[in-house]
Amino acid sequence: MPADHRVDQTLLEAVAVVLNRSSTAAHDASHELLAHYSDTGAAPTQRAVNTLIDHAADALRALTDALAEVSDEFQVTHRG
Amino acid sequence: MTANLIQGDHVSCSRVGGALRRESSRLLHHARALEDALGDLEAAQGRITDGAALATAPIGSMATAAAALRELRATADDLDEAGAALQRYATDLAEGHELGRRAQRRVQSAGLLLEGTRVVEPWGPAAAQEAERRRAQAPEVQSRVDLAAAHVGRARGRLEREVTRLTEAFSARSQAVVSARLAPLPPHRR
Repeated sequence: MPADHRVDQTLLEAVAVVLNRSSTAAHDASHELLAHYSDTGAAPTQRAVNTLIDHAADALRALTDALAEVSDEFQVTHRG
Repeated sequence: MTANLIQGDHVSCSRVGGALRRESSRLLHHARALEDALGDLEAAQGRITDGAALATAPIGSMATAAAALRELRATADDLDEAGAALQRYATDLAEGHELGRRAQRRVQSAGLLLEGTRVVEPWGPAAAQEAERRRAQAPEVQSRVDLAAAHVGRARGRLEREVTRLTEAFSARSQAVVSARLAPLPPHRR
C-alpha cells in the first residue's frame, strides 16, 4: 500500500463514531415516527399518511443498518 | 348534540408534522458531523504524518460512507417536506373547523338541519310562514356548508398528492440503500 493511502488512525475512528451516532439517530427517528398518530378526518387521507409514516420508518431502518455497517468497516480498518 | 361537520384533529396532525421535522433536523445535524469527519479524512489522504500512528485508508468504505451520507441527507430532506405538508394541512384543517362551526351555527339559527353536508328542512308540521322562511334561507346556509367542506376537501387532496409522492421517494430510498448493501464488495475492501 503506497504511503499516500495511509492516514492517522484517529481520523478513521472519528468517522466510525460519527457513522455509529448517525445510525443510532436514524434508529431513534424510526421509533419516534411510529409513536405518534394523526387524525386527518378522512379515510383515504388517513391511509395515505399512515402509509407515508410506514415507508419513512422503513427507509430509516434501512439507513440505520447501512450506517452501522459502514461504521463497522471503518472500525475494522482502524483496528486492523 | 350534532356531529361536527368537519372531521379530524388538527392538533394531532400538527404534532406528527412537528415530530417529522424535528427528526429531520436531528438527522441533518448528524449529516453535517459526518460530512466534517469525512472531509477531515479526505484531506488527510495523500499526506504522510511522520511519527503518527498510521492505518490504511479504506478507499472502498469512503465511497460507501459518502453514499450513506447522501442517503442520510435525502431522507432528512424528505422527512422535513412530509412534516411541512402535515403542518400545512393542520392549519387548513383548523380553518376548516372554524368555517364548519360557523356554518353549523347558521344552520341552527335558520331552524334547518344537516344530513351529512346537505342542508334540509326538519320534519313535522310548521306554520306556512315559518316553512317559507326556512326554505328561503336554505341556499345561503347550504353555500356556507359547501364552503367549509370544499376548503377541507382541497386541503385533503393537496396532502394526499404530497404524501403519495413522498411515500414513493421513501420507498425508492429504502430500495437503493438495501441494494447498495447487497451489492458485492470491490476486491480491495476484502
